[in-house]
Amino acid sequence: MAFNDDDHFLARSFEYFQKIVRQSGPAASASYTLIGAIILLGGIGYVLDIVYGWSPFGLLSGLILGIIVGFYELIKVIWKP
Amino acid sequence: MSAAGNGHEGGGFDAGKVILNHVSNSSLDHPIIHIPPIFGIDFSVTKHVLMLWIVAAIVFSLVSFTVRKYLKQDRPIPSGFMNAIEAVVLFIRDSIILPNIGKKFTPVWTPLILTFFFFILSANAIGMIPVFDLLGAINRFILHVDASDSHNFINNILHGGVTATANYNVTAALATITFITIILAGSRAHGFFTHWKNLVPKGLAWPVYIILIPIEIIGMFVKPFALTMRLAANMTGGHIAILAILSFVFIFSGLFHSALAGIGVGVLVSVPLAVAISALEIIVILVQAYVFTMLSAVFIGMAINVHH
Repeated sequence: MAFNDDDHFLARSFEYFQKIVRQSGPAASASYTLIGAIILLGGIGYVLDIVYGWSPFGLLSGLILGIIVGFYELIKVIWKP
Repeated sequence: MSAAGNGHEGGGFDAGKVILNHVSNSSLDHPIIHIPPIFGIDFSVTKHVLMLWIVAAIVFSLVSFTVRKYLKQDRPIPSGFMNAIEAVVLFIRDSIILPNIGKKFTPVWTPLILTFFFFILSANAIGMIPVFDLLGAINRFILHVDASDSHNFINNILHGGVTATANYNVTAALATITFITIILAGSRAHGFFTHWKNLVPKGLAWPVYIILIPIEIIGMFVKPFALTMRLAANMTGGHIAILAILSFVFIFSGLFHSALAGIGVGVLVSVPLAVAISALEIIVILVQAYVFTMLSAVFIGMAINVHH
């Protein structure tokens, strides 16, 4: 985005803000998916531990799977052309 | 508000109970509007359902009225509230939807994403307006209705939190709409079967697919889950923080058996801190509506613009 020095500083600030917003979308989605995957799958593992008495393997498997899924989503965003 | 609602048990102040009563939904045992169960499901209207209706009515009437008034003008120059609506709509379209979804499908998905933004923003914001607290005060001190009168309509609507978006069921419903939209957007752009094929990259060795397909399917469900938890947790967290700080007034009053101690803590600590956090909450309200909108646009865009 080209900034003109003659523009009002508020206009320039808003343009810069829009640029940052545009760039932040994929990063925000990757970070939320990473945390979401760990919490969701860790939570499912924890529930399975309680219901079936698998403790601590349900929680551990859930957390590991959550990290794998979360990082896979992160890699997809980073490697996006 | 009932004695239980105030958290008084044996004369003590139960901060946890008061906070929970102010952020959670009202109980199904005392619904605002009672509806007989249909197929075993209780469809009675609780506080958060009432708030959803109020928010939907406000957003629909306010936006429709303003836009219709603008369209009827001889010269289409926006002014007043229409100016604000136009600025927000243009910002969301140009900064969120267009870069993520692309030019071709922007007109298709812009209405849905804008509806998300205005609805979530209004639902978040209405939680900061103490309408029901004011109604309760009028009921108690002007109309002189007893707080324990369970047949009084205003007493009934005082139970439960005002912020519908702090309820996980509400945010889950919104995230489900996004989840279905992701599938519809992908199917519309590439065809139903190609959309599912696009989930994984082409041309890989078959053993890789055994790992990738389950990961992608789990990833599909993780996205709406992240949307659900983030919005509800942020909206609940802010309100809990404010209420916990305001609870110091009553906790210190009880601790020192003196109203003066409570008032002192209130004036010096609780009220200034609560005001500061409320100011922060106004930013949170905007940011959360914006983040939900942006993430929905990103996820829909990922189904449309497939890059492997």
